[in-house]
Amino acid sequence: MEGVSYQRFPKIKIRTVRDDFMKFELRETDASIANALRRVMIAEVPTIAIDLVEIEVNSSVLNDEFIAHRLGLIPLTSERAMAMRFSRDCDACDGDGQCEYCSVEFHLRAKCINDQTLDVTSKDLYSSDHTVVPVDFPDSSTGLDNADNRGIIIVKLRRGQELGLRAIARKGIGKDHAKWSPAATVTFMYEPEIYINEELMETLTLEEKKEFVESSPTKVFDINANTQQLTSILLLNAPTLYPVGSAEFHSVFLQIVDSNQICSVEIFLSELMACENSSFYNVQLSHFNANFVVHFAPFQVYVYDAEAYTYDDEVLKKAEAMGKPGLVEIHAKEDSFIFTVETTGAIKASQLFLNAIEVLKQKLDAVRLSADTVEADEQFGELGAHMRGG
Amino acid sequence: MEHGSFQDESQATFSLTDEDHTLANSLRYTLNQDPRVTFCGYSIPHPSDARANIRVQTTGDLARDVLKDSCQDLMLVCQHVRSTVDQAVMEFKNKQWVESMTIK
Repeated sequence: MEGVSYQRFPKIKIRTVRDDFMKFELRETDASIANALRRVMIAEVPTIAIDLVEIEVNSSVLNDEFIAHRLGLIPLTSERAMAMRFSRDCDACDGDGQCEYCSVEFHLRAKCINDQTLDVTSKDLYSSDHTVVPVDFPDSSTGLDNADNRGIIIVKLRRGQELGLRAIARKGIGKDHAKWSPAATVTFMYEPEIYINEELMETLTLEEKKEFVESSPTKVFDINANTQQLTSILLLNAPTLYPVGSAEFHSVFLQIVDSNQICSVEIFLSELMACENSSFYNVQLSHFNANFVVHFAPFQVYVYDAEAYTYDDEVLKKAEAMGKPGLVEIHAKEDSFIFTVETTGAIKASQLFLNAIEVLKQKLDAVRLSADTVEADEQFGELGAHMRGG
Repeated sequence: MEHGSFQDESQATFSLTDEDHTLANSLRYTLNQDPRVTFCGYSIPHPSDARANIRVQTTGDLARDVLKDSCQDLMLVCQHVRSTVDQAVMEFKNKQWVESMTIK
C-alpha cells in the first residue's frame, strides 16, 4: 500500500439541543458527506408506524381506508426501532409478521353516546407495548389550552356512530413510505463569511448606509447607533481641542478648566444619536458657559447575523447600484455546514443523528462485505467469460 | 457486483443494488481522497431502478481492495463523527446545567 488516505475527520459543535430540535455545525468535511447524512436522516433511519389495520366496526363519516391512512401517519415513539427486526425478516412469527418481536399491536374503540361531538384522538389508541405509544407533545406554546391537550384527532363521531379497530405497527424506513420518516425537516447551509470593506463604507452617507442595510431581505447587517466613535471635542470659548481618539464611548467626561475651578461635564452620547458628523452643543454650568462642538466618526455598519444570509445577492446588487461594487464580500465556506434537524417526536433529535450515522455504517458494511461474494461470478458467468475473452 | 476484467484488475465498475446518491456520492468523495485512485465516479443509470454504478481505476492495486478500504475509511469518519457528537452533546448539556444553576 502506497500512502495513507488524505481523508479529513470532521469537527462538530452543537448550538442548541431540545427534544425535537437540534442545531449544530459540521466542519472540515465535504458537501457529499453532509448530504449523505441529511439523506439518511430523512429516508433511512427506521421508525415504527401503523402498517396494518383491521376495522371491526366503522359507522363514522370517513371510510375505512381513509381512517387507516390517517392512523399510519400518527408518529409513534420509536426508541425500539433500531433494535427491532423488519417484519419480513422475522423468523419468530409464523409468517404473518405479527409476533411480539417484530410488531406492536394497538386497539381503539370509541362510540359516541351523547349529543356532543366525540373527538377520537391519538390518545385513544391503546398500545400493547408501553414504550411504543403515539407521540405526546406537552404543548408549551399556549398555556391555557394545553390543560386538555387532546392529541391528534383521527375522526369525529356523532351520536350513535362507532369506531372499533385493531392495528399492527411495524418497523420501516422513510424510503418505503413517508409515514416512517422520523424527520420533520433536516436542512444544512454553507456557513457564510462576510467581509465589510471599511474604507469604502466610510465614504457612504448615513442615508446610503441605511438603504444598504435595508436592501437585504433578512437582517444581516445593522447600523451601530449607540456606541459611536467620538473623535474630538472642540471647546469654543477657550478654543481647545480635546482629542478623544477613536475609542467607543457611551458618555464622555469633559473637564473644563476655568481660571478658578475645574468643572466636569458628562455628555451622554445616547442624547446625541440623531446627529450626523458634528454637532453644536451648549452646556450651562454655574458661572461658566461651555460651548463645544463634538466630532463623531460616521455610523458603523456591522454584521448583525451572518447566518441570516440566504445567498440571495441583494446586498451585492445594491452595492453595485450605489456605485460601490466592492463594498462587501461574501463567500460560502466550502467545508463548513450548519445543520438544522427537526423531528416529529418519534425519536429525539440527537438520537436521530446518531442513528443516521449507525445506518450509514451498516450500508457501508453491506457494500464492503458483498464485494467478497462469488455469487456474482456464478450468476453472470457469461459476462465474466466475455470480459475474459473479450 | 463487480464488472471488470480478469486481465487488468486495477479497474472495475461496481454495481450496487438498492443504493442511491446517499452512499454513492460519499463513497466517491472518500475514494478520491485515496492517493492510489486515478479515476473515480458514480452514475445512476435510471431513477426508477435502484442501482448505482461506481467506477474505480487505480495505480495498480486491485480495484475491489481499494473500494473496501474506502468503505473502511468512511466508516472511520462516521465513527469519529459519532463520538464527537456524543461529546459535544454532553458538553452542551453540562454548560446548560451550569448556566441554569448560576442564574438561580
